[in-house]
Amino acid sequence: MASLKVLSSLKSAVKVLRVGAVSAVLTGSLVSNIASAEKLGWPEKEELKFGFIKLTDMAPLAVAYEKGYFEDEGLYVTIEAQANWKVLLDRVIDGQLDGAHMLAGQPLGATIGYGTKADIITAFSMDLNGNAITVSNDIWKEMKKHVPHEDGKPVHPIKADALKPVVDDFKSKGKPFNMGMVFPVSTHNYELRYWLAAGGIHPGYYASLEGAVKGISTDTKGLLDADALLSVTPPPQMPATMEAGTIYGYCVGEPWNQQAVFKGIGVPVVTDYEIWKDNPEKVFGVSKTWAEKYPNTHIRVVKAMIRAAMWLDENNNANRPEAVKILSKSQYVGADYEVIANSMTGTFEYEKGDKRSVPDFNVFFRYNATYPFYSDAIWYLTQMRRWGQISEPKSDEWYKDIAKQVYRPDIYAQAAKSLIAEGKAKASEFPEFATESGFKPAQKHFIDNIVYDGTQPNAYLEKFTIGLKSDSKI
Amino acid sequence: MFKQQAVPMIFSQVKQIRIPSINNILRAAALPLIGLVIFLGLWSVMAKNIDTSLGQFPGPIAVWEQATTLIDEHNAQMDKADVFYTRQEERNAARVAQDPTYEPKIRAFTGAPTFFEQIWTSLYTVLVGFVVASLIAIPIGIICGLSKNAYTAINPLIQLFKPVSPLAWLPLVTMVVSAVYVTSDPMFSKSFITSAVTVSLCCLWPTLINTAVGVSSIESDLINVSKVLRLNALSHVTKIVLPSSIPAIFTGLRLSLGIGWMVLIAAEMLAQNPGLGKFVWDEFQNGSSESLARIMVAVLTIGVIGFILDRLMLMLQKQVSWDKSAVLR
Amino acid sequence: MSNKHHLELTQVGIDFPTPKGPFTALQNVNLRIDKGEFISLIGHSGCGKSTVLNIVAGLYQATNGGVILDNQEVNEPGPERAVVFQNHSLLPWLSAYKNVELAVKQTPNGRSKKEMKEWVEHNLELVHMSHAADKLPAEISGGMKQRVGIARALAMEPKVLLMDEPFGALDALTRAHLQDSVMEIHAELGNTVIMITHDVDEAVLLSDRIVMMTNGPAATIGEILPIELARPRNRIELADNPEYNHYRHEVLKFLYEKQRKVESVDEHRKKLAKHNKASSKGASVA
Repeated sequence: MASLKVLSSLKSAVKVLRVGAVSAVLTGSLVSNIASAEKLGWPEKEELKFGFIKLTDMAPLAVAYEKGYFEDEGLYVTIEAQANWKVLLDRVIDGQLDGAHMLAGQPLGATIGYGTKADIITAFSMDLNGNAITVSNDIWKEMKKHVPHEDGKPVHPIKADALKPVVDDFKSKGKPFNMGMVFPVSTHNYELRYWLAAGGIHPGYYASLEGAVKGISTDTKGLLDADALLSVTPPPQMPATMEAGTIYGYCVGEPWNQQAVFKGIGVPVVTDYEIWKDNPEKVFGVSKTWAEKYPNTHIRVVKAMIRAAMWLDENNNANRPEAVKILSKSQYVGADYEVIANSMTGTFEYEKGDKRSVPDFNVFFRYNATYPFYSDAIWYLTQMRRWGQISEPKSDEWYKDIAKQVYRPDIYAQAAKSLIAEGKAKASEFPEFATESGFKPAQKHFIDNIVYDGTQPNAYLEKFTIGLKSDSKI
Repeated sequence: MFKQQAVPMIFSQVKQIRIPSINNILRAAALPLIGLVIFLGLWSVMAKNIDTSLGQFPGPIAVWEQATTLIDEHNAQMDKADVFYTRQEERNAARVAQDPTYEPKIRAFTGAPTFFEQIWTSLYTVLVGFVVASLIAIPIGIICGLSKNAYTAINPLIQLFKPVSPLAWLPLVTMVVSAVYVTSDPMFSKSFITSAVTVSLCCLWPTLINTAVGVSSIESDLINVSKVLRLNALSHVTKIVLPSSIPAIFTGLRLSLGIGWMVLIAAEMLAQNPGLGKFVWDEFQNGSSESLARIMVAVLTIGVIGFILDRLMLMLQKQVSWDKSAVLR
Repeated sequence: MSNKHHLELTQVGIDFPTPKGPFTALQNVNLRIDKGEFISLIGHSGCGKSTVLNIVAGLYQATNGGVILDNQEVNEPGPERAVVFQNHSLLPWLSAYKNVELAVKQTPNGRSKKEMKEWVEHNLELVHMSHAADKLPAEISGGMKQRVGIARALAMEPKVLLMDEPFGALDALTRAHLQDSVMEIHAELGNTVIMITHDVDEAVLLSDRIVMMTNGPAATIGEILPIELARPRNRIELADNPEYNHYRHEVLKFLYEKQRKVESVDEHRKKLAKHNKASSKGASVA
């Protein structure tokens, strides 16, 4: 105990007060950083606190901190794990957090008033893919009978068709088939619903109980007509909840699917890469008032995170092992190195021993992963409409307006240009900002082969067998 | 007996006292030690037989290892903090060179709080919450004890709020604090206020009730003494009421501090406010192979601190209590 | 003595509210007391002796009639009517000295700090307690505590000293010592004293008049017995004094013939137990 550096913590406190006694030794790189920063303007707020949930896709935050990218921007950032997505969002709204690692649906949901009403915006998309659906060992045993095999191994992607007989069996016995997802507006909710519905299992509608906001449901359960009952569990608790038998499966980000494999309590059956190839996942959200008050700070935060994302994908994922080491620290994700490494380094283990190569399981930068595309926002809005969270029909214009309110590629562009000017990034690594519409071309790679075109949300909704159509009401 | 001891027959006294005292010391030291050894033995045997999905339940050795790891981590973090401050000074200097109007300032280290910093946060929070609660509860308790009417008026409220779990208060406190506590340059963080207020809310009742009971059960003769002496209200409280209810007040205070400490850990876990509770929760969420051992370190630390807090209160109680004959434990 | 009496109780009566309606505890108590007189109140338990004392002390308010002390009506407690309580009632957290000092500080008489100190010491001296001035009540015996209690009362320089069974909780030897002390002090200071007692010998030995109370409810004064024994009185000499024995006899006759109290066995036991407890408490630290 004597070796405890309690004294040095006191010392550091004293240092905070000791202003001005500055060493004259300066490194050249520091000077050049600051020279180029002049064009952008100094940050209005230098001490920031960002929240995150213990998931591997928070990596850009951890890397930007550990690699000093935040400090390079003159930002002194504290990164703090949060209990669940609700707490995280509330803290961003009430200002305890300056920004946070968020579900893509959270800024959108908050803006339209589903759940908590607040203006949250995002100028940075944190990653593509990274989720999977896991079922418990017992369910897998039943499911496996209906999965086609090749060379003794199941053929992927596994569709929910294989799960349907299991769910039907539960239904005939009058037992509820419970599954976990992480939040009503989470990617996981929509992905799980997408996968289930594609296999003919109804995941349930959100009842049209209008609250303060017209046309937006206040139901957060979404159990109407459901074959599979989905409920909310915070990501890190997923394995424990399934182990306890409360749920039979879940959709969650990493490392909580690989954790189930390591613990031997469940089997991941499908990754979201297989449900929708290169789907947008988390975003970095801040409140709109915050962004308006501290514009330079916001741009600098985005700059640091773009650099972190670049570092994560650099040289064909060469830095991933180092990233895993950072993430396995207890203040970040904190799971064992092996568990995090499984998915972060380009592989994914389904059944124990069935490790397959999925190089794009976690994408942080390539394919313009960090750019906030309007079409990504609109996809989430279509899913909110599909399942009744948006209880009234909305026009295509409405979808575009909301997307433009929440997704802010303009801020992203300023950050990227600043990086290009500083020589830290090449223009070729970004979309052509002058011409970029924010809409990706029609995307085909969904598990049910339905094509998504972000410019026509209502037409897209018409294509689903299960789900509300553009003009239907519950 | 008293007089005998006062007699300066030192030798006979030593002879009389030494033999039983050695015995006593042996007993006082050996029995708890035996208890501890049995506990450690049972613990390690049981731990080997409990397999969780995070691996074997940590035995004493694994926990000890994690305790040293936590110390190492703390030291490493402190080193990192030193580097952080030097780097910051360099950055500040560079910026001043660029922008002479800039007034450099040193910002606090941004790294994650270590286990020991979390302990400190928890201790600080519980003490603030406890002191605030006591400052409210003792005067109200005195008023309730003195005036039957005040007691009748307040008692239903006490009975209503006393059994409310801190975890039920927490969401309300959180929302109220964030709505009411709005300053541009907060002296305390919101999470600190939330935790401290929650602790206060739960610390209030034992002190309040015990104070009221202590005050209302003052010997009627003492009250008559006060009347005959025509003590005014203030002297009555300070000269008669307070001293005579000190034992009851301290009973309440000790209960309160114990409850406050438990509540704080729970509140920190639930609200994710900094402190030992958050440490436990974070480790639980991490689900790494070391998590359980680290949680055990925290559990033992929480217990030891709770014990020490109670002993400190006991020492204080012995200091201020006039009834030296009372057995305090 | 003058026509105006020092302390007058006129038609004093008191009702206590009970759920069944008011209960009359005392009725028509009339008593005139001269300055310097030593009065004992004697009677069976529950006869309202303590109530009379408390009314004089101002701790109770009479429902009927009233008390006049030196031409002033008594309606609240005050240091000019100091009380010596049955169980000493010293503040346990204050030393003997501090207990007396508290009383001195509360009696306004323009003493300087030094005079105040001397006055406290003087009163402790009076009850032979100077040697234990710095002891806490818990560190001294029951008799010593009662001495300090008396010192505290005397230190207030009361016009009337009210003693509520002051020696009830003490063993016989200690009691005798204290009785002698009280006689000495009374001889020296000449205070007016009203003392409640259960003890016939004590009453006869100390008093100028013994006021004998009838049994309650609606208790009142039965007889008043003047004790015309010369002072100073000596308990050993008086033991064989026929006059003394006559007075003793008179009191006993009043108590056990005229006002015989029928107690159930249960009640008696309870009282015994209570008494034993009280005396053991008082004597335990001796």
